[in-house]
Amino acid sequence: MATVDFLVELGTAELPPISLQKLSKAFSAGIMQGLKAELGKDAQTLLAACSVENFATPRRLAVKISGLIDEIPASVSSVQGPPLKICYDADGNPSKALIGFAKKNSVELEQLSERDGKINYTQQIAAKPLAALMPGIVEHSLSELPIAKRMRWGANKIEFVRPVQWLVMLFDERVIDCEILGVQAGNQTRGHRFHHQQPITINNPAEYEAKLQRAYVIANFSKRRDKIVTQVKQQAELINCIPHIEDDLLDEVTGLNEWPVALTGAFDKEFLSVPQEALILSMKEHQKYFYTTDEKGQLMPNFITISNIESKDVSKVIAGNEKVIRPRLADANFFFENDKKISLESRCEKLKKIIFQQQLGTVYAKSQRNAALASHIAGLIQGDQQKAQRAALLAKTDLVTDMVFEFTDLQGLMGYHYALNDGEDTEVAQAIFEQYLPKFAGDQLPATKTGLALALADRLDTLTGMFGIGQPPTGSKDPFALRRATVGVLRIIIEQKLDLDLKQLVELSVAQHEAIAAEDKAKVAKQVVLFMLERLRAYYEDGTIRIDTYLAVAALAPSRPLDFDQRVNAVEHFRSLAAAQSLTAANKRVSNILDKQSLDKQLPIDSALLTEAAEIELDHCLTALDAKLMPMFESSDYRGALTLLASLQQPIDHFFDNVMVMAEDPAVQKNRLALLQKLRQLFLRIADISLLN
Amino acid sequence: MTATPAPKGATFQDLILALQTYWSKHGCVVIQPLDMEVGAGTFHPATFLRAIGPESWKAAYVQPSRRPTDGRYGENPNRLQHYYQFQTVLKPSPDNIQELYLGSLEALGVDPLVHDIRFVEDNWESPTLGAWGLGWEVWLDGMEVSQFTYFQQVGGLECYPVTGELTYGLERLAMYIQDVDSVYDLIWATNSDGTSITYGDVFHQNEVEQSTYNFEHADVDHLFSVFDFHERECNKLLAANLPLPAYEQTLKASHTFNLLDARKAISVTERQRFILRVRTLTRGVAEAYLNSRAKLGFPLAEEGIRLEALAALEESK
Repeated sequence: MATVDFLVELGTAELPPISLQKLSKAFSAGIMQGLKAELGKDAQTLLAACSVENFATPRRLAVKISGLIDEIPASVSSVQGPPLKICYDADGNPSKALIGFAKKNSVELEQLSERDGKINYTQQIAAKPLAALMPGIVEHSLSELPIAKRMRWGANKIEFVRPVQWLVMLFDERVIDCEILGVQAGNQTRGHRFHHQQPITINNPAEYEAKLQRAYVIANFSKRRDKIVTQVKQQAELINCIPHIEDDLLDEVTGLNEWPVALTGAFDKEFLSVPQEALILSMKEHQKYFYTTDEKGQLMPNFITISNIESKDVSKVIAGNEKVIRPRLADANFFFENDKKISLESRCEKLKKIIFQQQLGTVYAKSQRNAALASHIAGLIQGDQQKAQRAALLAKTDLVTDMVFEFTDLQGLMGYHYALNDGEDTEVAQAIFEQYLPKFAGDQLPATKTGLALALADRLDTLTGMFGIGQPPTGSKDPFALRRATVGVLRIIIEQKLDLDLKQLVELSVAQHEAIAAEDKAKVAKQVVLFMLERLRAYYEDGTIRIDTYLAVAALAPSRPLDFDQRVNAVEHFRSLAAAQSLTAANKRVSNILDKQSLDKQLPIDSALLTEAAEIELDHCLTALDAKLMPMFESSDYRGALTLLASLQQPIDHFFDNVMVMAEDPAVQKNRLALLQKLRQLFLRIADISLLN
Repeated sequence: MTATPAPKGATFQDLILALQTYWSKHGCVVIQPLDMEVGAGTFHPATFLRAIGPESWKAAYVQPSRRPTDGRYGENPNRLQHYYQFQTVLKPSPDNIQELYLGSLEALGVDPLVHDIRFVEDNWESPTLGAWGLGWEVWLDGMEVSQFTYFQQVGGLECYPVTGELTYGLERLAMYIQDVDSVYDLIWATNSDGTSITYGDVFHQNEVEQSTYNFEHADVDHLFSVFDFHERECNKLLAANLPLPAYEQTLKASHTFNLLDARKAISVTERQRFILRVRTLTRGVAEAYLNSRAKLGFPLAEEGIRLEALAALEESK
């Protein structure tokens, strides 16, 4: 069997840089999958020798497979049918069973034979040239690409990421004749848009990359990315700066070039008085520039940009870029200087004109509610109530500054800078920044007490408000991101170890909403707490906690997240103990027994009725443990408590091995149930262990 | 790409003339600006309405555009509340549309082997127009000088054939070509005695006064009622089967919304509601316009597409 090199290149108008890599990987994965499907069960072996290489530039997606077999090998397929003895009647005529078998395989009776006493259909499957199958495989892979939005162009109904312009498809030097996405396959590709305008003939897949290189196209994505990194570092070295090369920006820039050339530009030092986050954002988001700092992390007045041309006059390209960034930075500078002229405090009035949500009133009203709640929370966590109140009142005022109007991402951060400029307390300023933390999964949490109080209050107010007006998140609809807000609250409480009760917080917050009718308040509060506890599940699912551990604790619905978390960790630890499995089983057993009895309160234990050694032992252990456990429960030492309870394994096993719970004497039976009840109650002070798998 | 480059140091008006000449040579109807306040060339009926339905269309024009929130009292060298766009629409979008566009840059004297020209992904969406499209911003040495969009939907209707829209930011392009740092220093025209008239001479006072009006004097309460009026009027005209006048009412409502926005009179949530109101109007207009053209038998459509579109409309009835 011969092998060939396969190449497919789809030429397009400029593709979206951020999704380029994803598209490229999916394209080749789709082709390989298609090949595997065609090759059937031997695919792994048949493809073992081939190597796959992806290429992706703004104007092309290509895949080269070297050492690919050129055909699906011939094979023999054998299907066993009904036993021979039921295939013919006494007269030798074919039976229904035989005719049915032939029909199912679409063959004539003459083509069937016999093997091992059964009718058999053996078929020789001829080798099939792979070339004929490639167009279908490629087309299917393209149709399955993860494209958020497909587009149409011209007067046709074909859809792709961007307009499709050419197609190369080769088996060695042979063009695979086909038409895909409206273009005819050939062996001609195109080089760099400006450096190389003549078509390029690819005689065989092996020369693809080198020929493109000569036409000013580095087709391989990672080689291009590496080249950019090297160039950026070189440029930074020339100006004695440290370049900051973030992966997402690097990938995006790599997706914007076929022939990267790094250039360094400068901007006026005076702009450095603007908070550097604003400058970095301007450079990165709008211009895709890499920024540089000195050794201390201070922003330098330079940027490094990656052009896509070996310009005949580099200075023009640099001057052009400098011309672009200047007004952007000037804008930032203008906003910053202008905003500073008006204090945050005097901006409060303006918040009266901004509707937060139609039924929940203005942002001003929200700030007032936030202030009351934040102050209360600050009291609960030994923070400064006055600072919390102050921070909450000022927290949203940066929304009416020009800088935040322009760069929404800077909300909070600008509030921080402006608050300091106004001479506000440092912690108040810090809290204004921290109110939006965490912004995403894994983001940092507020560090100051004031920030913690404000971050919690702001989210709780939105949460209770939206539930209060009957707009909780449903399905994929969560316009106020209440789910994320909830996880934020939970993370803050648990990870910053705040001893706060959701029930209390939610009730406080609900009480402040005028939009919620008095008679609905209790109901809304309950709904919100329930919703929040359910979100804890999502929180734990993201971590290493097993879901049944969460369920065992959730069964008790403890409404203090920190307490919840301590229980969850205790149960996780318990599960690592040797006694865990048998105790879980025992808890299940006890739970089953008790469930059938519908006992509503703890029955008294009469020690005089304890006769069997095992039950006496268990009773002794329980009594002894009881005394030791109480202080542990008091101090929420659930881990210690469960470890102690694990010592019950032997007495419990003995009990079940030797004692008959449902004794004939009803008094004895009742007494034994009481013993089990007590046992179960001790575990239930921590979690419902019977729910563990 | 054989056009004669514009003379070096082209004036602002030379630039417009060069683009008009270029696109005229490539078969565009050169029309004049819409005489109403709009935020962009896209709002001109020659783009918005012509993008609807099966009819072919090629046009180029300058459109004065107003974006009240962008005003800077004439103090920012790059931001204007009133500026010019040069708009080219080609429907159906030809396969060589990018090359045609690059040809127009060369006609303006931009050498693609000196400058870094890039097509950078830009997904355009206009919630008020019920429209979206995919395409690019065109970067010239990092400066966005044009927007390039393949319309996919307009007024809530699928576009077929697809219109390719090229929008040049004339001031930016001119600043680049004339190598000035402030828009107000642009040479608009050169007198016969060699002196010149600048963009500042023509428009600086306007920027100062209009910014002041937009941000400080526009009567918010009245504007809210004006918005309501145009909305009512549009609906009335739609009921009377007059899509073109109805569309103008939509434009007025849209500009009123922009003024209210500049006065920061509309909150984030309220904003959504206003956008929805305008979108409802533009959808109504788009449908009415499509029907009115269908009644005429889509006279400008290519025959095959014309029949296909008429059949599709018949079927949906």
